[in-house]
Order: sequence, then structure tokens, then C-alpha cells
Amino acid sequence: MNTFSSFYLIKKLPVHELLDPGLQGAINQGVVYGLSFGTRIDEDTCVALMPKGRLVLSLDKDSYELLGVEGKPSRFNHRTCSRFVVSVDLTDSSMAPGGRGHTRLLTGLRSHLQLQTDFLLSHHPEGGASLQPLLSRYDWSKHEPEVSCRHLTDLTCPDFRSCDCHSLLEWIGAVEADISCESSSSSFLSSFTCPEPNDVLSHALSVSICGLLLPHDVQRLIQELRCHLQQTQLESWASLTVHGFIDSPVSWGDNEHGVLSGGENFYNLLMFPDHTYHLHLATGAYDTCPP
Amino acid sequence: GPDPIGSSGFHRTVLKNGSPYCYMKVCLVLQDQETRLNAVELKSLIITGLKDLHGEVGAALPFDVLKFDEGSLTAVLRVCSGGLVKLWSSLTLQGYYQSQACAFRVLQVSRFNL
Repeated sequence: MNTFSSFYLIKKLPVHELLDPGLQGAINQGVVYGLSFGTRIDEDTCVALMPKGRLVLSLDKDSYELLGVEGKPSRFNHRTCSRFVVSVDLTDSSMAPGGRGHTRLLTGLRSHLQLQTDFLLSHHPEGGASLQPLLSRYDWSKHEPEVSCRHLTDLTCPDFRSCDCHSLLEWIGAVEADISCESSSSSFLSSFTCPEPNDVLSHALSVSICGLLLPHDVQRLIQELRCHLQQTQLESWASLTVHGFIDSPVSWGDNEHGVLSGGENFYNLLMFPDHTYHLHLATGAYDTCPP
Repeated sequence: GPDPIGSSGFHRTVLKNGSPYCYMKVCLVLQDQETRLNAVELKSLIITGLKDLHGEVGAALPFDVLKFDEGSLTAVLRVCSGGLVKLWSSLTLQGYYQSQACAFRVLQVSRFNL
């Protein structure tokens, strides 16, 4: 967990800087990830830079018209068409510096819309050098993912094999939020109890890691958890939940994400020592179904 | 329910709008910021709000106070999915606690507890 990559927060980054030729090499290699910070998907302009080189902008109608680049109406429009999504493949030949598409987008972002936003940026180790010229021009700070651990004792735990998925996810959420399962189902305050059948575990560990995390760091963590499970007792298990950002303009695949009321897009991987697993993927009602 | 998984099987189930509950993280803001209340008083306040807006049927809507922090007056509530609108609307329109003005701020709503 201590080897999770650090990430940068750049204040008021002009978004046209993401089209800078100096960054093009790293984008083509697929080693840069970025997301606008502090922008709300239903109100503000949100920007995502995908590792495959796709730049996604979610804009309101006025901003979209000012930008002057072709996009599509948002799937989350309610009655009136008030939000649009512009999705550009920066690795495409027309988006090479000097290309027609590149010039049009650059002009739109730099002159017409003059789009600026706080921006989270992360990269694989090989992409670090090409970010330095960009960082040197703006106010930035480097952050390590925030890690916190809690040791749990006497944890009432359901039988995962027989538990339905909603009860399971509810229980996992309750453990993470430190919600007690002890109240009886007839209590005035809460009827929430641990799903039956259940057992009491003497020890468990709950860890939370918060930040702009890279997929390969998550995959490495999964491998380490699997190794750990191999070495421990037969009845052990590990549950990993990964949340996407609520205000991200993209969710599963490169598909559009909206907030509706919750903005949830997450997956939970429950692993057992015999290499079996339960994978639960969840998203909002109008998001695209996870793969 | 889903079929049993075969010995080398991979089984995929898709549930749309299947979550039976909705979860709300709310914060109670009071005119007198020194006032404190416990979880039972909070639940009674919410039930009163449900009754005021939705009558006896509303007051009978079952919901759980999963967690309550007395210091910050922040609570996590659970309600069946069909009851979300009733609960949310009565929280929005709840204006008084005892004799002082109050407001519920809805911080987060989700179909999942995570």
C-alpha cells in the first residue's frame, strides 16, 4: 500500500495545456491519467484524460457552443438538451500537433472557451519526465494516497457463499462506515442486522486508500492479497472495493457517467483462498452496464 | 435467484434497480448550535416530519438510523427504495426542532451502503 503511486493536483490548469506537444509522447504511451478536481458533473465542466489517450469534456450548452468542437448530447439530459459531451482521441492522426482537429480544439480551449480547472494528474513512472515542463508553469502540489487502517475485533461476519449480493454489499459498507450490526431487529433505532447465518471473527483489518489511484497499483494489491490468502487459514477471505469518482465524466469502458442522486460507480472483489471470487460491479441507473 | 455455479463455471447476474434499500447521509443544522440530541430524539424528529407531511401512513414508513454522531449531528439513514421520496421530502421540509429552527442537509444519497 505504501508503494501506491503519488499524484499531482494542479491549480487552475488551462485545459489546452493537455494538448501541449511535450505531453504527446506520454499520452501516446498510455501512461498519463487526469481528472478535473472540484467540478460537479451536473453543474460544471468536467474533464477526464484517459490512459488510452482519450480526452473527455462534459460541458453545459453555452460552454459547448463556445468551444466549437463537435460532440454529442449527454445521455443524462432531462427534457431539454443542456449538457454535451466532447470526446477526442488524442492519439489519432488528426490530433497530432498541427493537425486540423488539434488546431480546432486548441483554439476552442485557449481562445474561445478559455477553460481552466483544478486538475488531478497521475502517471506511470515512465511518464514523469514529460510532465515536468507542464508542472513548472503552474501552481501544483504532489500528494501521496491517504492510507488509514483499522483493526477490528469480534466482527460478526456473514457466510459469503449463501449471502445475497445486496446484503453482502450492505454489510461491507457497514463495516467500513463503522455501523454496528449488534442491534436486534426489533430495536427502535435500527433493524439492521448482520445477514444470517453468521459467525464472529476475532480479528480483521480494514484499510482505506484515498486518492487518484492507478489501475496497475490496484492490480498489484490484488495479487498481494491473493498471495496472502494462500498463506493463511482456509476460512480467510479478502474484500476489495474500488470507487470511481462521483463527478467523473466517464465510467465503465469509456462510457458516459452521470450523478443522478448518487453517482456511484464501484466494484467489489471478494476473494477466497481457493482462487474463487465474487465480483460485484455497481453503477447508476442510466450509466452503461459494466462489462 | 441465480443458478448454482458449476465446478468450472463463471456465472454472471445483472440486476437493474435491484437494490432494496436507499441510504442517506444527512446532517441536522440547528439554530442554537450548542443543542445536542441523541439518536432516539433524532429518529422521533424525523417521524414527526413524516407525519406532518405524509400523515399517519407516512409516519409508519420504516427507516433505520444506522449511525448517528452526536457531535456533528450527522446520521446515516436506511429506507426501503420505495420510501426514499417520502423520507427525503419530509427531511427537506422539516423546519423546527422543539421551538428552534432547524434544517436537514442531505450530504449523500445512494442505493448502496458503500
